[in-house]
Amino acid sequence: MLRRGVKSMLACFLILMLAGCSLPGLAGTSQHTIKIGSLTQSESETMAQMLAIMIERETDAKTELVTKLGSSIVQHQGMQRGDIDISSTRYTGTDIAGALGMEPIKDPEEALQTVKHEFQQRYNQTWAETYGFENSYSIAVTQEFAKENNIETISDLEPYAEDLDFGVDNAWVNRKGDGYDGFKEAYFAFGEVFPMNLGLVYQAAATGNMDVVLAYSSDGRIQEFDLKVLEDDQQFFPPYDASPVINNELLEKYPEIKEITQRLSNEISTEEMQQLNYMADVERINPRKVAKQFLEANNYFEDGGGD
Amino acid sequence: METIQQFTDYVSANGGYIWTEFYRHFLMSVYGVLFAAVISVPLGILIAKYSKLSGWVLAAGSIIQTIPALGAMAVIMLVMGLGTNTAIVTLMLYSILPITQNTYVGMKNVDQTVIEAGHASGMTRFQLLRMVELPLAVSVIMAGIRTALVIGIGIVAIGAFIGAGGLGAIIVTGTNATDGTAIILAGAIPTAIMAIIADVVMGWIERRLQPGQSA
Repeated sequence: MLRRGVKSMLACFLILMLAGCSLPGLAGTSQHTIKIGSLTQSESETMAQMLAIMIERETDAKTELVTKLGSSIVQHQGMQRGDIDISSTRYTGTDIAGALGMEPIKDPEEALQTVKHEFQQRYNQTWAETYGFENSYSIAVTQEFAKENNIETISDLEPYAEDLDFGVDNAWVNRKGDGYDGFKEAYFAFGEVFPMNLGLVYQAAATGNMDVVLAYSSDGRIQEFDLKVLEDDQQFFPPYDASPVINNELLEKYPEIKEITQRLSNEISTEEMQQLNYMADVERINPRKVAKQFLEANNYFEDGGGD
Repeated sequence: METIQQFTDYVSANGGYIWTEFYRHFLMSVYGVLFAAVISVPLGILIAKYSKLSGWVLAAGSIIQTIPALGAMAVIMLVMGLGTNTAIVTLMLYSILPITQNTYVGMKNVDQTVIEAGHASGMTRFQLLRMVELPLAVSVIMAGIRTALVIGIGIVAIGAFIGAGGLGAIIVTGTNATDGTAIILAGAIPTAIMAIIADVVMGWIERRLQPGQSA
């Protein structure tokens, strides 16, 4: 008698699991819950929250965030399994090399068209328009240094390059293609290169220990330490424009989501994303609040953009 | 001092969020241990009755225990996908050993003369189990569930990496921020408090169930 009870409970449990249902109290995965997956970076979670707020505002669907996913590949697998319906941020450069396994494409527009086409064809997913910001490798100097020597682009640094110390992320130096070797071919070599932990790079530039650093373009710390990102005039770094990716099944069910992504497209510049990242990473404000404040300030982009 | 200030600021600004994740974390831990108990208590009784099995079963449990939780979670994720269910199943695996072991020990420690007395008075095997053995072993079984729950609260924190949320998500947020000690504490302190409370409450229940204390 006891064993039969156990068996039936086990069976119930297994059915629950296989059906992909959640246990009571742990958020419903009903037909009407849209699951949005985001990465560990603040900007990914902030964008997920923005999408969630917009979707709940415009449709009768509920949303649930699946946060802190390890990489874009985890997001990709989750999308294919149906564990998540939307990836909040996917980057053109990352997915061309990662999910699609293709050669890097330097032209941003061509890269975007490629991922749009390939994701539609291969995975039945829609790669939406970019939000307008990118999170790519970039070269930064202090504002002071830029003003004194009138520097706008990376090429402007060339005359001074020999005397400059270059602080970089450990992972970047030996990277194939868009690493330091490639950089030297496209531009020039710096006096001395100091590989270090990414967390130290920005501070090293601000305190003057380094003259030039490799930065992630949407990082809030660029603002915190008052750095200037230089224009990549040779288009050496591949583009990493951020877009949401959505399963087509979901779009058929909620066509409003397409409209939402269109309203958000090209509305958030890299500078604005830096500010939002600054709020989350440095001022320790919850991404949900950051997203809500930003959307309110822009009137939810209802009049075709609040800028 | 600055960290304490930042900590109180963060907690007061995000109290609701921390509470939601706390509740989610708690539920995941409880479900995992509960399902493990459903499997492990009968299993423990079984291996106490058929002692030949006990060596194998307990060895299998010990082997599971040696696998790092993060690795196990990653493997289970490949099969079950992202989300809370994966975290719960992982926790379940890690709870099987302490509960099975304690059930086994509890059942074995029941005085043989008491069982014989029951048997002599005409009890069936099932009556014997329900009225004599289980009541005498239940406090030891509870001690196993208590251990499993306290370990489990720690394991669920790793669930943040596979999209299960919980207090672990707050800790990971802190590790990504520029000066995130305050955020890490805002995730870690509630986790520790939850484990301590679980330990105290379960300890209290365990004592109440001790034969001779009540009933």
